[in-house]
Amino acid sequence: MDQQILNAIFIGSIYALFAVGYTLVFGILDILNLAHSAVFMLGAALTYSLVVNHGQPFWIAALLGIAASALMGLVIEHVCLRPLRRRHAPPIAALISTIGLALVIVAAVEQGKSGSLFSWLWVDGANSVAFPAGTVPNPTWHIGDLTLEASKVLIIPISIALMLILGYVMRFTQVGRGLRAVAENPRAARLMGLDVDRMISLTLVISSALGGLAGILFGLALGDISPYIGRDNVEVRGLAVIVLGGMGSIPGAVIGGYLLGLIEILALVTFGSNARGGVAFAALFLMLVLRPQGLFGTRLRERI
Amino acid sequence: MLLRLDDVRRHFGGVHAVDGVSLDVEQGSIQGLIGPNGAGKTTLVNVITGYTRFQSGQAWLESDELSGLPAHRIAGLGIARTFQNIRLFKDLTALENVLIGMHVRRRDDTLAQLGTLPVFRGDEQERIKDAYALLESVGLPSSVGPRHAATLPYGDQRRLEIARALALRPRLLILDEPAAGMNPSEKQGMRELIERLNADGLTILLIDHDMRLVMGVCRRVAVLNFGKKIADGTPKEVSTDPTVIKAYLGTGGEREVRSAPGATGVDEEREVEQAAGSSPAAREPEKAILDVEDLTVSYGAIVAVRGVSFRVAAGEIVALIGANGAGKSTILNTLSGLIRPESGTATFDGLDLANAKASEIVKRGLVQVPEGREILARQSVMENLELATWARRDGATTRRRIEDVLKRFPILGERRDLSAGSLSGGEQQMLAIARGLLARPRLLLLDEPSLGLAPQMVDEVFRAVEEIHKDGTTILLVEQNALRALAIADRAYVIETGRILLSGSGDDLLHNPAVRRAYLGG
Amino acid sequence: MDFFIQLFSDPIGFWNSHTLLISQIGINGIVATSMFLVLYSGQLSLAAPGFMAIGAYTSVLMELYWHTPVVLNVAVAVILAGIVGLLVGLPVLRLRGVFLAIATIGFVEALRLGVILNVPITGEGLGLQHEADPLGGVPIILVSLVMVVFVVWRLTKGRLGSAWSAIRQDEIAALSQGIHVARYKMIAFILSALIASYAGALEAHLNFFVDPGDSQYGVTRAVQILTFAVLGGTGFVIGPVVGALIVTLLPYIFEGAGDYINIIAGIFLIAVIIFRPQGIVGRGGLAIVRPAWWPRSRARAPSPG
Repeated sequence: MDQQILNAIFIGSIYALFAVGYTLVFGILDILNLAHSAVFMLGAALTYSLVVNHGQPFWIAALLGIAASALMGLVIEHVCLRPLRRRHAPPIAALISTIGLALVIVAAVEQGKSGSLFSWLWVDGANSVAFPAGTVPNPTWHIGDLTLEASKVLIIPISIALMLILGYVMRFTQVGRGLRAVAENPRAARLMGLDVDRMISLTLVISSALGGLAGILFGLALGDISPYIGRDNVEVRGLAVIVLGGMGSIPGAVIGGYLLGLIEILALVTFGSNARGGVAFAALFLMLVLRPQGLFGTRLRERI
Repeated sequence: MLLRLDDVRRHFGGVHAVDGVSLDVEQGSIQGLIGPNGAGKTTLVNVITGYTRFQSGQAWLESDELSGLPAHRIAGLGIARTFQNIRLFKDLTALENVLIGMHVRRRDDTLAQLGTLPVFRGDEQERIKDAYALLESVGLPSSVGPRHAATLPYGDQRRLEIARALALRPRLLILDEPAAGMNPSEKQGMRELIERLNADGLTILLIDHDMRLVMGVCRRVAVLNFGKKIADGTPKEVSTDPTVIKAYLGTGGEREVRSAPGATGVDEEREVEQAAGSSPAAREPEKAILDVEDLTVSYGAIVAVRGVSFRVAAGEIVALIGANGAGKSTILNTLSGLIRPESGTATFDGLDLANAKASEIVKRGLVQVPEGREILARQSVMENLELATWARRDGATTRRRIEDVLKRFPILGERRDLSAGSLSGGEQQMLAIARGLLARPRLLLLDEPSLGLAPQMVDEVFRAVEEIHKDGTTILLVEQNALRALAIADRAYVIETGRILLSGSGDDLLHNPAVRRAYLGG
Repeated sequence: MDFFIQLFSDPIGFWNSHTLLISQIGINGIVATSMFLVLYSGQLSLAAPGFMAIGAYTSVLMELYWHTPVVLNVAVAVILAGIVGLLVGLPVLRLRGVFLAIATIGFVEALRLGVILNVPITGEGLGLQHEADPLGGVPIILVSLVMVVFVVWRLTKGRLGSAWSAIRQDEIAALSQGIHVARYKMIAFILSALIASYAGALEAHLNFFVDPGDSQYGVTRAVQILTFAVLGGTGFVIGPVVGALIVTLLPYIFEGAGDYINIIAGIFLIAVIIFRPQGIVGRGGLAIVRPAWWPRSRARAPSPG
C-alpha cells in the first residue's frame, strides 16, 4: 500500500510538471496548447534516440532533448499561434492548429524507422522501448517493504525544484511580472512598452521545455517510450489536472497533479487496475460540473 | 401602473449594487433612470429582466410577478430590452435579427418543416413583412434588411437592436443607454424615435448618462446613487434637487450650477456643428513633436476617424474634447500603435507611428495612460510601478525614479504593497498616471483621466496633470469634462463624429458661446 | 490516382470493390452531421464517440445475448444514448467553449476506460466478436445519411434552427428575446447523441468486431470528427459531410504518401485553420464555432470613441 503511495507521488510529480506547462499557456494566452503532449513525447523520444542510436551520454542527450523541446515551443508559437493572432481568430482555432501540429509530430516519430526520412529522430517505429539498464546510475534502496529506485525518487525533488523556480520567477522577477501582466491585460502590457509577442514566445518556450523534461523523466523512470506515451498518459490527464487545480493557476497545476496521482492510486487499490483511467475522468467531469474554476482558479462572470 | 418595483435589493459580495429601490412606472409613460457610473442602474435592469436574481424585494408587470423568473420568461411576459454594449447577432442580417425577435410569437414548426420541401410558406412571408415594418418603424430603410448586422453604422445598429426588441410586441421597453456614442444629430434622431414609439402607446424605461437626453424626453425621472434612489419626480424637480446636483453634476467645486442643462442641450450641440469655423482658430505651432496629417481610422465598416489633422508642440498641453464616441480614444490608440490607420500619417519626432511597433513607440517616449485606467489589479502598486520601468530601464536610477514618483503621489506610497485592485477609482487613476510617468514620456497621452471619479478626486487629478506639465512634459489630453480640460489646455480641438469641428486656444474655446452651451451646460 | 480512374471508368466495379470504404464514408458523414448540430447551437461538444460506443455496444450486446431483431437493437441503443445524453448534457449546460469540450472528453474517456474496459460483458479490452450483419449493406447507410442530413437541414430552417443560431452567437441576447436557451441547447445535444449513436450502431455491424480502442471511441476519434467539421466548414449542414468525405478519402487521394499520410493531414489541418477557417464549404464557418463568451477572454471590442 505504501509502495503505491510512493508511486502516486512519482506519477503525480510527472503530471504536475506536465500540467504546469499546460496551465502556463492557458493562463497567459487563454489557449489550450494541445501540442504539449506531443512535445512531452518528443523530449523522451529524442533523448532516447540520442543515447541509444547516437551514443551520447545521458546528460548531454537530456539537455539536448530539453533544448529541442524548447525549440518546439517556438515552432508552436510561430506556426500555430501567431498567424491566428494576426488574423484575430477565435481561441478555438488555436486548439485546432495545435492539434494539427501534434498529429504531425506523433506521425513523424511513428514513421521513424531505419532508412526512413525520420531515422535520425527515432528508429523504433510504433514500438515501446526503454532506456537500457545502466544509462544512468540507478541504485535501489529498500526501506522496510518499500522499494525505492533512484530514478523514480529523483523525479520528486527535480520536479519540485523546477516548480519552485518557476513560481519564484513568476512572482519576483521582472520577466515573471511581465508575463503576468500579459496574462491579466495584454493591452495595458503593450501600453507599458512590453513586447507582447516576445513574452508569448517566452511562455511557449518555458512551457515546452518543462513538457519535454517531464517526458524525459517519465521515459527514464517508467521505462516506456513510444510515439504514444503523450497521448496515453498525459494528453487527457493533463486536462484533468488543470481542471482540478484551476486553469491558469500554477499552484493549482502542481496540487492538481499530485491530487490526480493520489486519486488514481486510490482507485487502483480500491477497484483494481482497470478503474484507474475512468476515475480520473469521472473526477474531471464532476469538478467541471460542480466547480468549473477548479480549486484555485477564479470565478468567471460575464458582464451584461 | 405598468411596472412596480418594491424594495428591490441585490448585492455582490460587500457591494450593495441595488439597495432597496422602489419605483412605479405608469402605463404609457416614458420613465427615466439616471445616475452616475456605478450607481446601480444596469444592475437594477438586470434584476428586473431576470439576468440577476432578486435578493429581496419584488417586482410586478401589471399583475405578473417578476421576481424569481428567468430572463427568457420575463421576455415572454412582455418586457423587452436593449443592451448598453449592443448585443446584436453579428453574423446575421438585419432582417434575420428582427425575425429572431419574433421567436416567442412564432408557432413551433418542426413537423411542418420536416414534412415539406423548402417552399416559401405563407406565415414566413407574413413574418418577413412584419419585420420590414418594424425596421421602418425605427427609421431604417428596407435596404438595410439584407445587410449583415456587423456592417451597419453604429447608429443604425442601435436602431436595429430596438427594432428587434419591438418584435416581441412588448408591454414595456427598457432602453439601456441607447444614445451612447452618438453625435448630437444622431441623439436628436434617437430622441425623436423614442417619442414616436411612446406616442404609439409604448411604455418606455430609459436609462442613460446623458442628463439632457433624459430630461428632454421623460415625463418622470428617478435618480440612483450608490444603489439607492435619491430622487424621483418630474425633470424640473429632479434637476433642481440639490442632492442630485451634488451627487451627479459635481464636476468642479467652483462651478455654480443653477439648474441642469435643459431640454435644449441637444440643439446646442448641433449649433456647434454649424458654428464650425466661425471661431478664430489658434495658430498651429511651426515645430511640432507630434504631427498628424489626414488620419483616417476604421473598424470594419465604421469609420471612426475621418481625415483628422493636428499638431502638438513640445511643452504644450493640447486637449481633444467632444462627446462620447467622437473618435478621440481611437486617435490616441492609433498614436500608441494599437490600431493601424487606414490612411494618413502620424509622426512623433521622426518616428512613423502608423507602422511602428507599440513597444517601440513607448520606448521612444510616447506613452499613453489609457481610458479606464487599465492597471493590473492583481498585482501590487509597487509591482505595477516596477513593470512600468520596463521600457526605460536603466539600473540604479530606476529605483530613484520610482521613489520620486511616489513622492509626487504620496497616497501611492502609503499603499505600495496593496493590490492595485483594492484602490479607489481616484487612487487607481493616480497609479495609472504614475505608471505613465515612469516610462519617461516626452509626450504623455491622457485618455479620459477624470472618468468616473468623484469631484474632489477630479481636482487632484487635474492638479497632478498641471504639475507634470510644469515639469516639462508635453501632454495630449482627451476629456469629456470639457470645462476642466479647456481650463488647463493651451490649445484644444473639438471633435465630433471623427472630424475636427473647431480648434482654438483653451481660453477662446472656453468662452465660445456655442461650445459653452453644448459642452459646458451654459 | 488509380483509385479515381476506377471511380470514373468503372463505377459498378468500383462500388463492389470498395463497399467498406463507401460505408465508412457514409457513417462518418452521419456522425459529422451530429457534430454539426452541436456546433450550430454553439456547443463545442466532443461527446460523439461516447454515444457511438453506446450505440455500438448496446445493439451488439442485445444481439449476442437476447437475439432480438436488429431493428429493435438499434432502436434501443439510440434511445439509451438519448437518455445518457440527457444525463450528461444537463449538468454541463452552463459550461462554455473549451470547458465544455473538456467535460465531454471526460465523459468519453470515463465511459471508455471506466465502463467499457472494465465491465466483463463488453469483452473489455478484447472487444466483442459477433456476426457482421450489414443491415442490408451500404444502401441502408447511404439512405440513412441522406435522411439525417435532410432532417437536420430542415430543422435549421425552422424555428429550432433560428433559436440555435441566436444561441450560438449570443446567449444573453437570445434570452432577451424570450428564447429558452437551456432547453434548446439540450434538444441539440440529445439529438446529436441520437444521431451519433445511430452511426455507431451502423458501424458496429460493418465488421465482426467492436473495438474499444482510442481510435474508435476515444479522444483520437473525437479529434477526427472535429476535423470533419472544421475542414468542411460549419456554415452549411453539408459542410461536415464534405469534410468527412475528404478526410476518409485522404489516404486514397494521397496514395503516394503512404505512411506519411498523417503528417500531411496535420499540415493540412493547420493550413486550413489559418488560411481558410470557414472550411471548404464555409461562409464564416469558424465564426459559428466562436462562443460569444470565451472564458477569461479579455478581447475587448473596439469602442467607437
